[in-house]
Amino acid sequence: MIRMAKDRPLVVLGFLGTSQDQRGFRDRWNHWRPTVGLCQQEDLVVARLELWHERRYERLGKVVENDIARVSPETDVVRHDMPIGDPWDFQEVFEALHAFAGAYSFDTEKEDYLVHVTTGTHVAQICLFLLTESRHFPARLIQTRPPREDGETVAGSYQIVDLDLSRYDALARRFATEHLDAVSFLKSGIATRNEAFNRQIDLVERVAMATRDPILLMGPTGAGKSQLCKRIHELKTQRHKLEGEFVEVNCATLRGDSAASALFGHVKGAFTGAVAARAGFLRRADGGLLFLDEIGELGLDEQAMLLRALEEKRFLPVGSDKEAQSDFQLVAGTNRDLRADVASGRFRDDLLARIDLWTFEMPGLKDRIEDLEPNLDYELERYADRHGRRVTFNKEARSRFLRFAESPDASWAGNFRDLNASVTRMATLAPGGRINREVVDEEIERLRRAWRLAPESGAPTDGLLLEVLGERRLAEIDLFDRVQLAAVVEVCRRSKSLSEAGRTLFAASLARRTSSNDADRLRKYLGRFDLDFRALQPR
Amino acid sequence: MDANNTIENAKNATPVVLDGSEGEGGGQIVRSALSLSLITGRPVQIDKIRAKRRRTGLMRQHLTAVQTAARIGAARVEGAAAGSSSIHFVPGALQAGTYHVPIGTAGSTTLVAQTVIPALLAADGPSTVRIEGGTHNPMCPPFDFLERTFVPALERMGARVTATLERHGFYPAGGGAIQLTIQPSPLVRIELLERGEVRRIRARCVVADLPVSIAEREAEVLRKKLGLKPDAVEIRSLPDGPGNVATVDVETDAGTIVFTSFGEKRVPAEKVASNLVREVKNFLRAERAAVDEHLADQLLLPMALAGGGAFRTTRATPHATTNAAVIEAFLPVSVTFTVDGDSTLVEVAPKM
Repeated sequence: MIRMAKDRPLVVLGFLGTSQDQRGFRDRWNHWRPTVGLCQQEDLVVARLELWHERRYERLGKVVENDIARVSPETDVVRHDMPIGDPWDFQEVFEALHAFAGAYSFDTEKEDYLVHVTTGTHVAQICLFLLTESRHFPARLIQTRPPREDGETVAGSYQIVDLDLSRYDALARRFATEHLDAVSFLKSGIATRNEAFNRQIDLVERVAMATRDPILLMGPTGAGKSQLCKRIHELKTQRHKLEGEFVEVNCATLRGDSAASALFGHVKGAFTGAVAARAGFLRRADGGLLFLDEIGELGLDEQAMLLRALEEKRFLPVGSDKEAQSDFQLVAGTNRDLRADVASGRFRDDLLARIDLWTFEMPGLKDRIEDLEPNLDYELERYADRHGRRVTFNKEARSRFLRFAESPDASWAGNFRDLNASVTRMATLAPGGRINREVVDEEIERLRRAWRLAPESGAPTDGLLLEVLGERRLAEIDLFDRVQLAAVVEVCRRSKSLSEAGRTLFAASLARRTSSNDADRLRKYLGRFDLDFRALQPR
Repeated sequence: MDANNTIENAKNATPVVLDGSEGEGGGQIVRSALSLSLITGRPVQIDKIRAKRRRTGLMRQHLTAVQTAARIGAARVEGAAAGSSSIHFVPGALQAGTYHVPIGTAGSTTLVAQTVIPALLAADGPSTVRIEGGTHNPMCPPFDFLERTFVPALERMGARVTATLERHGFYPAGGGAIQLTIQPSPLVRIELLERGEVRRIRARCVVADLPVSIAEREAEVLRKKLGLKPDAVEIRSLPDGPGNVATVDVETDAGTIVFTSFGEKRVPAEKVASNLVREVKNFLRAERAAVDEHLADQLLLPMALAGGGAFRTTRATPHATTNAAVIEAFLPVSVTFTVDGDSTLVEVAPKM
């Protein structure tokens, strides 16, 4: 399991045990003394022992040194004065050991190092562990044990522990399983088939688990950046690597004056309308994960503030002269070429350098079309979970849909969001929970129209709006309005009456009793687009 | 066939390959193989060293024996490391000279002495060897045995060897030292087939850094049970310890045999002494045995080098039969053990 280095001489570093190595003088050979026992092991030749102790233990140090010379002529004992005032003071002990490690010339090519952790205070043991784990001591740990009752000699025994866990087969296997579980979790349990994507997620898992550095997710809208982020946050929370919240912000919605205040917060009275203080997204994400999607849409001032917040974990809320603090992990999402934005002066190069440490490309659905089928099943599962209604394809319908969906004709401009919408529509329209050929054919037509209409920048919701508005009217509506309208239409379709839809849509105001007639509000809104509630009801 | 021919015939032969886990399966195989390799010049490969022991492979005291043998024989060695399960030892020319051998873990000085003495007897000049470590270790022949049993037996075969105790060393503290002088000498064939008369029995009880009353209680038991006169039992108290050992010398017409018993924690002095008495009485009971079981396994190698020999002992131990097998692997001799009443006849003879 552990490879013994037989070619290099062993060098042990350790504390003199001021109580355990101190066993009286005359009677000392009848007792186990860890430092002496270390040099009495029949199958371990210590070529050199670097022994630490405070100056006041000089006499004990000499006794131990002389006794080791007797039982282990192979061992060269080098005693070091370790000036530690309080051996239970973590900082003091750590600093002393850290300083020793820094000044000591380790030559791992020529010598094999062991750190003896049986002696010294528990604080010293913790420090030795930490410094060995961090490779300040390029060593393995050695623990000595008193003799067992079954007649083991007074020398006792020892155990060598290598903190490089990959050396332990059983542990390595367990970690591999854990890693696979985590990767599968990040993929929402979808058995994706695209190799490049799988490798990518594999890497995301390792990076996300190992670091709190910023991560940059590149990829078209609907590629699943937001979903992946949520999963990273959940996974890191499970593994106790994050404690704070998941906060998701689409920077495209932050344009204008309120952007800084939304991100960094403001104090009461900071500007007209600032009737109450606001913490801002950064502070809400303290200790957690902040997902800034469409980071390229952020204004230059906000970019500068964000950079400082990342580097110093502090920033000034709007109107405040007192800095606020927040320590969050940033995941940035973008669909734009940020390098081009830097060239054109739209994006700060120093911020890009800061967030471009771990960059992952999230391919669109089209670029991993072999994953469409597993995602189709996943979406059906999700629909069942959300609506409490299990929907299935009949065999012919399924292969018909897949044949179209995987063909070059299908552009999947909105990527996985399009697929989600498509499955939702088919599931909703499926008679008796069974998606048949007719439902599929209608859906294929709907998708074809949507993609023909807005092949490049089509909003994911266009399929639905196309159905209720028709091509020409939809073309007259700004993308900005389409998103909201689509959500409203969806709610209307789910609701049995105008009032029910109104209650759903204005639930927050209703709770604050600031809106009395939400059915009327909804009717007026729909009117702006020449729509009425009854016409939206599914046939 | 004389001694030189036996050795000459073995020289330049193919390497000897031994399974270190066979028979007694301990350090004895390694030590005997090293001596024989040095003397015959035949390379040796030993695998599965101490494979059936709790801690397997070469222990530090065996490693010291390997390293010392390598110095004496200008040998090339592979696998010379603590815990190593196999070694390959290719000897060069024997080097007479002055050697200093410190052994770790208070390892036995006498076992290293037994490894180097036969080899240096075959060297081209006189040697002095100082060995430091344990001189009185449980499960090993104590210095007293080396001094008054083994070396005199070698002298009768023509060897010129002296062994001097400089300082006692007990396990676990060690710190003992012995000095050997070895003059190159050819060995001659001897026979120790009858014990003859028991001339004298003497005892010695030694304590080191322990109450002298322990030695006195042991002496009392030895006197009473072996019927010794007061002045036949010596009590010694040493400063450096801790340690306790009791020895009984049985002097017969065939030579002196030293029997030993070590004091142990939680074992009363009386028990230590009566264990020793039992061993002595067992030997005395086998009336024709000239050699005890410990000398028996150590006589095999010098007798094989002398081209043959014979002796009568109490019984053949696993140590002796294992040793015989190692010797037969190196030299064209055969060793036979014949049980004969309450003793065993051992014959070492050139292979026909």
